[in-house]
Amino acid sequence: MKIIKQIGIIFSVCWISVVIEKIFPGVFPASIIGMILLFLCLAVGILKIEHIQEKSDFLLENMAFFFIPAGVSIINYTDILKNALVQLIVICVVSTVVTFAVTAYTVRFTMYLLRKKKK
Amino acid sequence: MKELFESPYFGVALSVITFGIGVKLNRKLKTPVCNPLIIAIVLTSGVLVIFDIPYESYNKGGEIINMFLAPATACLAVAIYTKRQILKEYWLPILAGCSAGSAASMASVYGMCRLFGLDDSLAVSLIPKSVTTPIAVSIAEPAGGVVPITVVAVIGTGILGGIFAPFLIKFFRVSDPVAAGLAIGASSHAVGTSKAIEIGEVEGAMSGLAIGICGIITVLFSLLIHL
Repeated sequence: MKIIKQIGIIFSVCWISVVIEKIFPGVFPASIIGMILLFLCLAVGILKIEHIQEKSDFLLENMAFFFIPAGVSIINYTDILKNALVQLIVICVVSTVVTFAVTAYTVRFTMYLLRKKKK
Repeated sequence: MKELFESPYFGVALSVITFGIGVKLNRKLKTPVCNPLIIAIVLTSGVLVIFDIPYESYNKGGEIINMFLAPATACLAVAIYTKRQILKEYWLPILAGCSAGSAASMASVYGMCRLFGLDDSLAVSLIPKSVTTPIAVSIAEPAGGVVPITVVAVIGTGILGGIFAPFLIKFFRVSDPVAAGLAIGASSHAVGTSKAIEIGEVEGAMSGLAIGICGIITVLFSLLIHL
């Protein structure tokens, strides 16, 4: 019953976020609304972490599994992959390095400013 | 023969089996190249192609698995909530780092797509590629992106980050564990985070936090530029 209840809570949050997306179309995707909604429920105290712990662990730990069908549908798009494979690889490598460097240096700079302000 | 594969049980069972093989291989070989999701996608696609099973038949089970994507995304909130203490302590560096990182990622991808002359649907599929899969997909899909391209690019990025993280830390001389963790999470989401956890506790926590924060920031940026 515990797990059923947790599934009920999380699926209800998801359904409410679909409703919100329908009322305000084009603002946020439903899955992000669900994430914000769940965070607010936890922060305000409507939900306690114990209410959803096991189900949430199950979903987070197995996150990768749920993407198998989306990934497999690549077999319907092999022509795009063939035509742009080299470009795709270059884009992934370069942007990963750029993102890493920019994030690391921004954090370092911000912490440096904070320390300076404290002194 | 074909109708044997029409049952949704087939798609779910095939996905579970191939993912199981992927997890086993990943544990044995302990390298980010053997990502369980990539192994499962390759094996599942292989089975469909070799036995000439239509994607539509497989996807009857696939749709059931897809149903769990939104709940899994929502649960990223739980991951952020459990780390609210460090979020409070380092909110400014986290916010600044994740904003700059997300902007740099989107801008660099967009720039290269233009440089290579890739068409708009491909560019839209790739722009959110540094954030975790559910968020990247929910940005790319309504904007007219090709979802499987997004999924493959996101996982590819994660694997690259996982492999290169220790090297990038040395190369850019990132001595601060907070900066290193956030940089790993911002550039390579969950796959990179599993590597960050191996590097250190602070790195792991920061990287995990960066997944959700960068996700939300990237959604906001994509709204701003009307993706």
